[in-house]
Amino acid sequence: MSGPWWRIGWRNLGRNPRRSLFTAGGLAVGYAAVVVMTGLGRGMVAEMIGNGTGILSGQLQVHAEGYLPERSVHETIGGREGIDVDALVGAVAADPTVSAAAPRLYGGGLVSAGDHTLAAGFVGIDPAREPAVSAIMAAGETGRLPGAGENELWIGREMARQLDVDAGDIVVVVAPAADGSLGNDLFTVAGVFRSGLGDVDASVAFIPLDALQQLMALPPGRVHEVAARIADPWDAAAAEERLLGELATDFPGTAPRAWNRFQPEMVEYAALFESMEWVIIVVVFIMAVFGVANTMLMATFERRREFALLLAIGTTPGVILRSVIWEAFVLGVVSLTLGAILTFPVLVWWHNAPPDMSWLYGDFTMAGGLIRPVLRVEYPPEMMVLGAVALFATALLAAVLPAYRAGRLPPADTLAGR
Amino acid sequence: MTHEPTAVTTAAPAVRTKGLWKIFEHDGIVVEAVRDVDLTIERGDFVVLAGPSGSGKTTLLNMIGGLSRPSRGRIEVDGRDITDLTESRLARWRLDRVGFVFQAYNLLPVLTALENAEFTMLLRGIPPEERRSRVEELFAEIGMEGLEGRRPGKLSGGQQQRVAIARAVVGEPALVLADEPTANLDSKTSDGLIDLMSRFNRELGTTFIFATHDTELMRRARRFIRLVDGRVVEDERRDAPA
Repeated sequence: MSGPWWRIGWRNLGRNPRRSLFTAGGLAVGYAAVVVMTGLGRGMVAEMIGNGTGILSGQLQVHAEGYLPERSVHETIGGREGIDVDALVGAVAADPTVSAAAPRLYGGGLVSAGDHTLAAGFVGIDPAREPAVSAIMAAGETGRLPGAGENELWIGREMARQLDVDAGDIVVVVAPAADGSLGNDLFTVAGVFRSGLGDVDASVAFIPLDALQQLMALPPGRVHEVAARIADPWDAAAAEERLLGELATDFPGTAPRAWNRFQPEMVEYAALFESMEWVIIVVVFIMAVFGVANTMLMATFERRREFALLLAIGTTPGVILRSVIWEAFVLGVVSLTLGAILTFPVLVWWHNAPPDMSWLYGDFTMAGGLIRPVLRVEYPPEMMVLGAVALFATALLAAVLPAYRAGRLPPADTLAGR
Repeated sequence: MTHEPTAVTTAAPAVRTKGLWKIFEHDGIVVEAVRDVDLTIERGDFVVLAGPSGSGKTTLLNMIGGLSRPSRGRIEVDGRDITDLTESRLARWRLDRVGFVFQAYNLLPVLTALENAEFTMLLRGIPPEERRSRVEELFAEIGMEGLEGRRPGKLSGGQQQRVAIARAVVGEPALVLADEPTANLDSKTSDGLIDLMSRFNRELGTTFIFATHDTELMRRARRFIRLVDGRVVEDERRDAPA
């Protein structure tokens, strides 16, 4: 029976093409809104997580078990004996999802230039390895990255402004050392960066790992962290699981952690966005259901005589109901086709070439992640399917009342125009 | 689609009504449209219900066809009491046993002439090839060949009514009920349609009951029943064939 009802439904929609087009258009716009809005939301989350983990922290970090949360200077990997840093970096980088790994040492102290002094966090980096892990290494504005073994600093634009220095200037660095002394030395500002992360730009200075170890009176084998880059941040948890087993034997006392454990606020934001997707889909299609129901009621009311005729010649109320539902299904097919035509070009365009919105707003940070002023869209495959299901559900739900009423018409009275 | 077999008593008349009443009430005004009608119509008859407007012809016809329920009394069609059937069972019974022809043609505008004519067979689950061949055969008989693919809007009034008659008889029902089938047609077209229905009556043995003001149709009826104010005031059997 579906063949004829499909055909009849299609022809009935064609009786008032403008009205059908507007109704289908409404559903199509609803579909497009759901898919594009969730795509944008996911783009924002991806941007937040991508930048939040990619700019500095990495998607996975390995520390000594007791290092977090206090971050004691003494809690280096391998304890006081230190570790074979190259071997550990190699073991981490051997994971199939890890594209690069680099060692780090953390410290804190003061940076002075002339009359200006600032408190700063120091990150000791391997200048050869770090650029493959942290995107911030590509954010230089002036000068260059510090060179291995050199007393050089790489500082943020805000710190440079407050110290009134730029690349090539000399600053004094003072840092408490691991042996209880106060390390201090002259450093040259090798370069200035701008990450877009306000705190980092104002208070973090990158120093070659060996230079910082020397300042803090730590031997070359002592580092606080090995940071790793993983192309898809959502692979990091699985990498953590693998590394937990693999590092346990050769590097006892180490603790790998994926970004979702050391930046849980990002996970919460992602979960918040995910719940918002449901709100969007429900709100959009609840709005649509009333519009479609109104149209279907009008369309069936105009055809009361036809339904009465169908009943008179032996069509059961159930078949009438199914025929109207079929019509709604045809409307759903038309709407989804329109919706796809409307949605996918925008989705592909914005995914591949996110429009620059810097004329409207600048960078901002969310949960520690930098959001660039672009309309980045990530494909939301399950929302494309769910949106289609919701579209059909809306069309069918909107048809239930008109269909029920059409099947309950009194044929004699209706044919008589009463 | 499955259908409940219609219980038919072969000796039973086509239609039998007992103490049939139809009372309408609207805004406190009570109208007795059909009053205590006892009627027996034999199989294969060609019957006209006549009477002035408001005499209850259409109401009686609708009750016989199961389109409207009696306020009191009982109706048997083809030996089956249809008075208390549910809407769904009534619809299926109509599909199997009754054909309708209306004054306003009442074809579905989105279907072609052929699709309109075959529609009841479609509902009965008859395969497409059989439907098509039966309709084409019938269309050839009623002078509609070549017009199968036209929608009602592209057919004349007479052609539309032919399609409606084809739809009514193509399933070979026991009973065809026609309410003013010639009212909107010129006399020549009207005569042609009466001839057509008369021929189906003779050749297929289908019982025809008309509600009409058409004097030619009244003249051709083998039984003439006049209603006034909902009551049968004249019931005349004629020997002349339809």
